[in-house]
Amino acid sequence: MEEQSCPRCGTNKYRNPNMKFLVNVCGHSICDNCVEVLFVRGSAACPACKIPLRRTNFRIQFFEDSSVEKEMDIRKKILRDYNKQEEDFPTLRAYNDYLEDIETTIFNLANGVDVEETKKKIEQYKKENKDTIRKNQSKLSRDEELIEALIEEERELQESHRNDMKQEETKEKTRKIQNKEALIDELMFSEAPANYILASHKAEVARQREDEEEEAPSLPKARTTMFSSGIRVGQQRGDTFPSTVPIEAALYIYSPLSIQYCGPDVPDTPAMLQNGYLNHMREASQADRGGGYEAKVGCSRAVQEALCGLFYTYQEPESQAQESSSSSSPSSSHMEMEIS
Amino acid sequence: MFPTSTQRKHWMFSGEDDLKKLREKANKKYVDGFGEHLNEEERSEKFLSPTEEYVLLRFYINALREFCVQFQPPMPKYVIGTSMMYFRRFYLNNSIMDYHPKDIMLTCVYLGCKVEEFNVSIMQFVKNLKSNREKMTDMILSYELLLMHELTYHLTVHNPYRPLEGLVIDIKTRCKSLKPEEVDRSRQGADEFLDRVLQTDAALLYAPSQIALSALLSSASKLGINLDSYATEFILGSGTKEQAAKTTENIKSIRYMVKHIPPLDKKEGKKIGQKLEKCRNQENNPDSEVFKRKQQEMLDDEDEVYSRKKQKISQEEKDAEKELLGL
Repeated sequence: MEEQSCPRCGTNKYRNPNMKFLVNVCGHSICDNCVEVLFVRGSAACPACKIPLRRTNFRIQFFEDSSVEKEMDIRKKILRDYNKQEEDFPTLRAYNDYLEDIETTIFNLANGVDVEETKKKIEQYKKENKDTIRKNQSKLSRDEELIEALIEEERELQESHRNDMKQEETKEKTRKIQNKEALIDELMFSEAPANYILASHKAEVARQREDEEEEAPSLPKARTTMFSSGIRVGQQRGDTFPSTVPIEAALYIYSPLSIQYCGPDVPDTPAMLQNGYLNHMREASQADRGGGYEAKVGCSRAVQEALCGLFYTYQEPESQAQESSSSSSPSSSHMEMEIS
Repeated sequence: MFPTSTQRKHWMFSGEDDLKKLREKANKKYVDGFGEHLNEEERSEKFLSPTEEYVLLRFYINALREFCVQFQPPMPKYVIGTSMMYFRRFYLNNSIMDYHPKDIMLTCVYLGCKVEEFNVSIMQFVKNLKSNREKMTDMILSYELLLMHELTYHLTVHNPYRPLEGLVIDIKTRCKSLKPEEVDRSRQGADEFLDRVLQTDAALLYAPSQIALSALLSSASKLGINLDSYATEFILGSGTKEQAAKTTENIKSIRYMVKHIPPLDKKEGKKIGQKLEKCRNQENNPDSEVFKRKQQEMLDDEDEVYSRKKQKISQEEKDAEKELLGL
């Protein structure tokens, strides 16, 4: 898309990277500098459509398409009044019709279709539904309530955490000061030799620290009853979060891979190295080694392929084996041999 | 590894009779399908018999080998082995009359190059053909999927070439009495042996390691190098008596097969080739009118299906709208 530029001064983002587009109720965007200049008095006409605008109504433009901005604006305003909930309707159908109606109204306003008529309709709706609107406004919807409660809870948790930390810190500080004073006092007034006093002081500090560490684990323990999102376990909150059922399954047990070579035993790699198999291999060049190849890889592969399958004999596929086992005697003798 | 491969599970057969039966079945299926209205005599006059088919197949097996040997850039042997295996497997379940071996042969080699990581582009590939390069490109690419389907996507082929290398290393290491140079000397003969194995059905009957061992033993015995002690002591000695006996028998029959490859009669091959031109499935012949017509029909069909779908969807939409309006 082409770089958007201010319709009044012609500046664009390229020339002024700090530029912000602002948009007002009419949906025409204009750069912040021009707003500064035009709206010195607090209100002026839109340079595009000459509608009188207030400076306070300017918002930062989120979407590049200003018509979307305008629609968002109108939607916000309309939804303030059209705030009925699903419970206010007898049937789902009626609720859906209501939502449809809202969309039509918004569309009409945003695209300038029957503006006067629509405005009249809104007025009428407002009059008719005064009570419900007020009721619904005062009563925040359930979702919002829940979200707000969650946020509040999280905030509280953080707050208490911070307080704890702070308390801990101050406690630590005062104790350190106390210790220091005690040490100085002792050094001043005690008869004992100085290095003895220092040593006992050190031991005392170490003991205190140990005590502290013992206490410390009690803190996270208290918090284990909460999820990271700050919801307390066991708190009844309706059906907002589905409980997960723990899946019980047997643990995976590793069993080493066993391969039927169908031939003489293949020496494993260490044995191969010991017996000097590699003396008869071309050495891996530097380029080969760069790719992770070593002579022993090729060697063990070749020897493995050479020895496996040497005792191969034809075996009837399992599905057909039953049909033909009686008719063909040689194949059944093969099978016996395989078993042995 | 061969013992756990699809090659062992799905593409190994009990003997040459087994292969013959399969080829006869494929032949019968084609003849029954295209010769419904003909009596026995007319059928044998018009269509190829299983024996004739096999003769022609052997000609094309030879041609495949020649093509691979002369291929530029030169290709490693295992590509030839893999392509040959694809070719054989394909004509176990399909008649030569249904798909022309010349087309399938090239497709097999092309697919073999891909699977064995011998990187040639299709342009490079068709440069090895003398004429009709564009048509052949289309043909190879269109047959590639069919070929893979007919191989039931079992694309990994175990060739006897690596086992041969492994055996050479193993012999050099374990048989201290033999000089490494002597073992190397038998390698050339073994390579020739494996080259001849390509002309037989051995790869469908015996394990690649068995074929490699036969190659080495046959070449060594010709040079007077005694490998018997190695074979009996290290290889057969580690298995049961029955296993040893069976393996010996298998090796003998591989050597017999390679020794007694029947010669190719060029005159007869030419005759059968001419007969094939008359009875082949014209739907799979890109030069024929039937093929062209069918191709066109397919394209038309596609268009038609598309337009029909579109019509249906728009009708449904209209209905839904009507319902919505409460009609």
